[in-house]
Amino acid sequence: MKYLNCDGIPRRDFLRVGALAGMGLSLSNYLSLAGTGGVSGGKAKAAIFVRLGGGPSHMDTFDLKPGAPSTHRGEFNEIPTNVPGIRISEHLPKLAKCADKYAILRGVSHTLAAHELGSLYMGSGNRPIPSLSFPTYGAVISKELSGVPELPSFVAIPQQGANPTGYLGVEYGPFETGATPQPGKPMEIRGLSLKNGVTLEDVDRRQDLVKRYDTAFGDFAKEDKVLAGMDQFGQKAYQMMRSSKAREAFDLSRESMSISGLFGKDQFSQSCLLATRLVESGVRFITVNLGGWDTHSNNWATLKTRLCPQLDAGLSGLFLALEQKGMLDSTAVFVTGEFGRTPKINTSRGGRDHYPRAMFCLLAGGGMKGGQVIGESDAKGEGPKDRVITPDEVAATFYRTLGIDHRKEYHTPSGRPVMIVRYGEPIKELIG
Amino acid sequence: MKHHVLLLLALLAPAAIAPAKETAAKLPAASERFGSLAKAEEPSFRRHVVPLMSRLGCSGRECHGAFSGQGGFQLSLFGYDFEKDHKAITQDDNGGEAEVRVNAKEPLESLILTKGAMLTKHKGKERFKKDSWEYNLLAKWIQGGAKLDVEQTGDFDRLEVLPKEIVFNKPGEVVQLKVLAHWKDGTIEDVTQITRFRSNDDSVSAVSDTGKVENKGKGDTHVVAFYDNGVLPIPTMLAMSEFTAGKYPKVPTRTKVDELVVAKLRKAGIVPSEVCTDAEFLRRVHLDLTATPPTPHEVRAFLADKSPDKRAKKIDELMKTPGYAGWWTTLLCDFTGNNRQQLNTGGDLQLNDRFSRQWYDWIYKRVAENTPYDQLVAGIVLAKGRTRPDQNYEDYVKEMVGYFRKEDRTDFTERADMPYFWQRNNVRKAEEKSLAFAHTFLGVRIECAQCHKHPFDQWTQTDFKQFQAFFEPVSYGSTKKPGDDLSYGELTRAIQKEAGYEGKNDKNREKYRRILAERLREGKLVPIQEVYVRPPEKPRKLSEKEIEQKKKRDPNFNGRVITPKILGGEEVMLNEFPDPRKPLMEWLRGKDNPYFAASFVNRTWAAYFGRGIVEPADDMNLANPPSNRELMDYLAQGFVKSGFNIQWLHREILNSDTYQRSWKTTPSNALDEKNFSHALIRRLPAEVVFDSIAMATASTANFTKIAADLENRAIGPNASISGKARGGDNYTLGIFGKPARNMNCDCERTADPTLLQTIYTRNDPSFLQLVDSAKRDGSGWIDELRRAASPESSKNAAAKLEKYRKSRANLTEQRARREKDRLLAEKDRQKLEAQMREMDELIVRAQAELAGVPQAGKLDFDRAIEEVFFRTVSRPPTKDEFAKARQDLDAASDKVTGVRELLWAMLNTREFMVNH
Repeated sequence: MKYLNCDGIPRRDFLRVGALAGMGLSLSNYLSLAGTGGVSGGKAKAAIFVRLGGGPSHMDTFDLKPGAPSTHRGEFNEIPTNVPGIRISEHLPKLAKCADKYAILRGVSHTLAAHELGSLYMGSGNRPIPSLSFPTYGAVISKELSGVPELPSFVAIPQQGANPTGYLGVEYGPFETGATPQPGKPMEIRGLSLKNGVTLEDVDRRQDLVKRYDTAFGDFAKEDKVLAGMDQFGQKAYQMMRSSKAREAFDLSRESMSISGLFGKDQFSQSCLLATRLVESGVRFITVNLGGWDTHSNNWATLKTRLCPQLDAGLSGLFLALEQKGMLDSTAVFVTGEFGRTPKINTSRGGRDHYPRAMFCLLAGGGMKGGQVIGESDAKGEGPKDRVITPDEVAATFYRTLGIDHRKEYHTPSGRPVMIVRYGEPIKELIG
Repeated sequence: MKHHVLLLLALLAPAAIAPAKETAAKLPAASERFGSLAKAEEPSFRRHVVPLMSRLGCSGRECHGAFSGQGGFQLSLFGYDFEKDHKAITQDDNGGEAEVRVNAKEPLESLILTKGAMLTKHKGKERFKKDSWEYNLLAKWIQGGAKLDVEQTGDFDRLEVLPKEIVFNKPGEVVQLKVLAHWKDGTIEDVTQITRFRSNDDSVSAVSDTGKVENKGKGDTHVVAFYDNGVLPIPTMLAMSEFTAGKYPKVPTRTKVDELVVAKLRKAGIVPSEVCTDAEFLRRVHLDLTATPPTPHEVRAFLADKSPDKRAKKIDELMKTPGYAGWWTTLLCDFTGNNRQQLNTGGDLQLNDRFSRQWYDWIYKRVAENTPYDQLVAGIVLAKGRTRPDQNYEDYVKEMVGYFRKEDRTDFTERADMPYFWQRNNVRKAEEKSLAFAHTFLGVRIECAQCHKHPFDQWTQTDFKQFQAFFEPVSYGSTKKPGDDLSYGELTRAIQKEAGYEGKNDKNREKYRRILAERLREGKLVPIQEVYVRPPEKPRKLSEKEIEQKKKRDPNFNGRVITPKILGGEEVMLNEFPDPRKPLMEWLRGKDNPYFAASFVNRTWAAYFGRGIVEPADDMNLANPPSNRELMDYLAQGFVKSGFNIQWLHREILNSDTYQRSWKTTPSNALDEKNFSHALIRRLPAEVVFDSIAMATASTANFTKIAADLENRAIGPNASISGKARGGDNYTLGIFGKPARNMNCDCERTADPTLLQTIYTRNDPSFLQLVDSAKRDGSGWIDELRRAASPESSKNAAAKLEKYRKSRANLTEQRARREKDRLLAEKDRQKLEAQMREMDELIVRAQAELAGVPQAGKLDFDRAIEEVFFRTVSRPPTKDEFAKARQDLDAASDKVTGVRELLWAMLNTREFMVNH
C-alpha cells in the first residue's frame, strides 16, 4: 500500500517488512533498503556519545584564555599536553597525557541557549523546528548499522532523555539501563537480567509456557503481520535473556585489571568502562552521561572537586581502553554538552551562564585524526575567531566516520522527505 | 492479450466529476497539436509548458524542483509558481537575458531543448527525443516569444477523467485514461499527455506516464491524475473473488453503516466475516470505548444475559463510565496537543503541570456530558484569557488565581473556554498556529504548502499564507488594554521588588519563586500572561522601512498585504471581525465544511478499526480519497445533522455488524485491509496496556477501584503531567508508543510491536513486581492469594478488619468530641479526616480479603484458574486450557506459584496484548 503524501511510506509497511525480514531490534532497515544514500568508507562500526548535560564551561576545560581579562579568565590555569602546542585545564591531567587520542573542536557555535533545545541540536545535528522532531544519533545509527541478535543496538547509560527517536518512531529507541554500573560487579539489566533466583531453566520453562497458552489465533497468527511480528520478538527476547553474551557484556567483574585499572571508581568512569565492553559485544551506539555542568553558581569549586576529576578519569580511561582493546579505530567517540558557558563571569554568583555562541566538542576514534585542535575562539572566548564550526558539521563528520551518508533521505511518517543532516559537510581535518 | 475494457460510472459521483458535456468544443491531444513544428499552434506556458515539464520530471524533487535546484536551474516543485518558473527559464540570475535557457535568437539552441533532448550533456538524461511533439511544443513556445500567459489563460476550473472508475474483469487488463482540463473560460482540452499520474497502490493497479492503467492484482485502489491545480483520483478495482453482483451471497445489513460497507464489498467480491462472539465483543468494545477491560463479574453477567439487545445496551452503559470520558479525553488531548513541556508558559510560576491537567479536566467534563463536538471545539478555538469584554487585567488575574489557590478554589472546568491550546510554546508563530489548527480541527496537513504547492492537494503557497493570516493577531503574552489599572509588567516588578529579585541577579530567584507560589496558594495577585487578539489593523500600505524589516524576517515577503482566506473557501475581510477566529469557527461549523466533521468522524473510525476511512486518518487530501466515499459522507453528514453529537457517532459505528465482525477471515476477505470486511488485529494502545496490566495483577478490591477511578490511570487526569505522577509519562508508556504530543501528526501514537515491549512483559522488573505483588501492600492479587492460602489467613483477616473498624470508630469519636469543645483547628481536622479516609480504604480492603478467603483457608484453585483468564483475556478458559492449567498447577512447587506462572504466561500471550 502506498500513500501519496510527499512519497510517503505508511507505518504499517515498516511492520510488514520487518516481520518478514526478521531483522534485529528495530523492525527493519526498510528505508535503508529503499533509500537513496549509500554507505561510504567509514572506519567506525560503533559509536559512543558522551553527553555532558548542563553545558560545560569551555573556558575552564578545553578552551582556556589565560590572556583574557579577569572578568572572563576564571580561576584555572593551563597545562601542556602530550601534544606540543595543545594546552588544556590543569584539572584534566590524565586527559592531558593522552591528547594525541582525541581532537578538540573550539569555536563550535549555535544560538540555542535553552537546555532542551541545545541538547536536541547537539544530539541530532539538526536545529530543532516545531513541525518536525528529529531523531537523535542513537536512533539513526541503530537503524543504519545492524547489530547482533543477542544485544540491543542502542543502549543508554543510564538514560537517554525525552523523545530520542523523533520521526523514526519507537522501533529505534534506546535500551536504557536505568542505573550506572558498580565497580567490579555484574550489572542488573532491565528486562534481561535474571533476578530473584530465576534460572535459565526457568526462562526455558516460561518460554514453553507462553507457547502452550498463546494459541488463541491458531494458524492465523502466522498470517497476520501484527501477530507474526510479536512472535518474532518473543523469540528474540528469549534469545537475549538466554544469551551469556549479553550477561557478560554487562558484567564488569569480567574485565581484566589492566583495563579496569584505567578507570576511576566513580559512576561516570564505570559507565565508560561498560561502554567499551558493550562495543566489544556488538552494541552499535551507547550514550554515556555525565551531568551537573549547569554551573550558574560555584563554577570553579564544582568543576575542580567533582566534575573535572570524573571527566578526566572516565574519558581518559575510555580512550586508552579502546586503544588497548584495539577498538579505537573502529569506534567513534563524540563528547559534547548542549552549549558552552558565558565567558564573562557572573560575579554575583560565582558562576557562568548558558552560552551557545562558543563551546567545545571532542571527537575521537573511528579513524578521526587525534592530537589536533580544530577551530579557534576569539581572545575572550566569546565566539569563533574566524571559522565557525556548526553542530551540523560535527554531526556530518560523526556520521561519515560511521560510513553513514549524512545527506541520505528518510521519510517522516507523514511522507515528508528529510535528510539525516541537511546542512553542513564533514570537517576535512578529521576525516582526512 | 485481449484488452477488454469495462467502464462503469461511479455510483455516487460528486458534482465535481459530473459527466462532461460531450457537445462542448474539445481541443485535441498535445501530440496532435504539436506533432509537427511547422504546423504547430502556439502553446501556452501555463497550460502546456509547465505541465509538460512537470510530467517529464523536470520539476520533480530529485531534479530542478529540489530546494536548491540542479545545475544552477531551479523550478518550483511540481510546477505551480508560474512567475518564478518563467523567470528561471527566461532570465539569468541578474535578470538579464544572456546565457539563458531559452534562446530568442536561435530558439532551437535553447538549453531546455538541447539539454532535454540530450543534445548537450544533461545530468538528468534524455527527457524527450529531438523533433518529438514534446520537443516541438517547447520549441514552438520559444519561437512564439516564450511568453508568460497566466493572465490570459484565466483560472483553471476542474479536471475530468474518463473512465470515472475502472472495474477490471481479469488480471492484467489495461485501460487507457483520458484527461480533460476544463478552464473557466469554457475551453476544454485533452491533456492526457501532459498530465502526471500516480497509483496509490502499485500492487493493484500500475499507471504509465501516458495514463495506461494496468491491473496488477486483486483489490482496489485509486489512480490519481495531476494537472495544473487539479487532482483527481480514479477508483480502480479487480474483484477479490467471483462472488460479485448476482453471485454475492446474502449478507444481512442491519444498519446504514453495514449497508454502505457491504455495498462496496459486494462490488469488490469480498464476503465479510461473521459477527464475533459475545465474549469477543465485550472485550473489544470495553477496550475501544473505555480503554478498560471488563471485570470478571461483568463478563460472566454479559455471557449469561439472554436479551437480544444486550450489545446495544452495553454500548449505552459504557458511555456513562469514567473510562469512556477518560479515554476519549485522552485522544482529544492527543489531537489538540496537550503537552506539559510546551506549556511552561507561566514563567517563574511554573504552572505547566497544572495547565496541562486543567486542559484535560476541561475536556473531560464536556466529553462526560456529551457536549456537542462543535461547542467543545469552539471553547478551544475562540478562547481568550479574559472571559468578559469588560474584564480588566486585575480582574483577569483574580479569576485565574481562583483556579489555582488552595482554599475555595473555583472550578476551572466551569470556564466557558479553555485558552491553553493557543498558549503553547510550539505555536507562538502564526504559521505554527495555522499548521496546528489545520491538523487538529481539519485533519489536513498543509505544511507542504508552506514552501511550495502541495504536491498531492490543491493547496498553494498563497492559500497557506492567506490561511495563516487568520492567526497573525492571536497572541499569548501581556497586553495593556483601556481600563487596565494594572499591567503584567507592573505586577511582576512589584513582586520582584518585594523579593529583592532584580532579574539578572539570580540569587533571589528562588525567593521570588517562593513568594509567587505562596501568593498563588493564598489567592493573591500574581503576574499571569494571557491569550489575546490584537485589534484589526486597517489595511494600508507598508512603508519602505517596514517592508525591509519584514523582508529580513521572511526573504519571500513581497510587500503585499495578505487577505485571509479560508482553506478552499472565501476571502474574509478581517476588519469586520474583532476576532478573526470567529469567521473561522463559523466556517468549521457550517454544514458544507468538507473537513471539520469528516476529520473527527474519520479519527473516531480509525480508533475503532485500526485505520481510517481515509488513511492515514489525519491526512485528508485530494489524492488520498476515502476507501468508501459513501460511508464517509453518510457519517460526516449524519454527525452534522445530529448536532455534532459524539455519542451518536459512537452508537452509529459500534452498533453495526461492521464493527462487530470477527477477526476470523473468509477466503475472499483475508487480504482485505481497507474495506472493513473483518476485524483487524490491533496492538493495545500504550495507556491500555499499562492499565490492563495494573488491573490484571491487582487485588480483588483494587481491581474494581482501578476500573472506576481514573486518578492513577494512564488515561486519567495526571497522565499528561510530569513523570513522577502515577499513570503519567514513564518508561512503560514510552516503549508502548504513547504520543509525546509534540508534532502535528497522529502518527506520534504508535501501535507497532517492538522488541522492548516483549522484553517488558517477559522479564521487566517493574512488570514482574506487579505480577508477584512484590510490594506486599495488599494491592496485588497473587499476594492476596498467598495470604488466603495460609490456614491462618481467615483468622488474620477477621482480626485485621476488627482492628481497622475500631480505629475508625476512635477517629470519628475524636472528631466529634473536639468539635464539640471547639478545639479542632482546620488543619487538624483535615489531618483527622485524611486518617479516616485511609482507614476506610483499609477496611474495604480487609473486607474484600476476608470475603475472598474460603473457610478453613482452602482456596478454590479451579476458580483461580478461571480468574486468570477473566483478568487477562476477559473470557473463561476453554476446556483444553483449563485442563492444561490444572496440570501446570499440580506440577508447580505450590499452587499459588502455579497461579502466578499462569498469570505471567497469559499476560505474555498475544491474545492479551491485542484487541481482536
